[in-house]
Amino acid sequence: MDEKKYETIFCIINSGFSETVMDAAREAGARGGTVIRARGTAGKEAEELFKITIHPDKEVLMILVPQEIKDSVLDAVYKSAGMGTAGQGIAFSMAVNRTVGLN
Amino acid sequence: MAFGKKKVQTGTGVQNTPLPVQSGNIAPFKLELLITVVEKNKAEFYIDLIQSYEANFQFSAPAHGTAKADILDYLGLADSDKTVIFSVIRSDKLDDLAYTLDMKFRTVRGGKGIAFSVPFTSVIGTSVYAFLSNAVDSVKGDV
Repeated sequence: MDEKKYETIFCIINSGFSETVMDAAREAGARGGTVIRARGTAGKEAEELFKITIHPDKEVLMILVPQEIKDSVLDAVYKSAGMGTAGQGIAFSMAVNRTVGLN
Repeated sequence: MAFGKKKVQTGTGVQNTPLPVQSGNIAPFKLELLITVVEKNKAEFYIDLIQSYEANFQFSAPAHGTAKADILDYLGLADSDKTVIFSVIRSDKLDDLAYTLDMKFRTVRGGKGIAFSVPFTSVIGTSVYAFLSNAVDSVKGDV
């Protein structure tokens, strides 16, 4: 079991943008990630209210990073595919209790 | 409380305490979400392994790694198809399971993977909690 502190970053982006996000995350120090295909479910009213069109095909990019670089990776992810970009991404991080297999 | 159900807080557990669930809103066992990323063809093996540690609820999703084609070619790997397994498991089972997973990741051919866990802060519904924590004592009277 690994003793170093890690956090997991979940980034939900429009389909096809995982490479862009991963490139930015790598530049900020991340090693790799895993992409899961998903489907978005925003309501029509919310879309009209916030003037955002939700592209239903999504990708969930999961990146496990050391705690020290979590902020810089999140920042890089946001700049490359945040809500103001075509990727329309949202990202969040969660503290991880245990990690296995990272060495 | 929503839907008339009791909220079970998993934040302050007393480990190795026999069930049934104690009075109040404190659950005896903490729960965690274990996320395991493995090669697609080894997913069933790891799902069965995790289930043997009393994980009653698991689901998996197809995924792929982010390694680029030139790196996969360099390493002699055909593809990056993976499966992500989400398992709800009791905290007191995680030490043993983490040790076993670590060993399997190192020794099983093509079985390399990573796993990490995120703690639950609350669960809604005592029966759901009993199911997720495999609290068999709490349903003995119904059998």
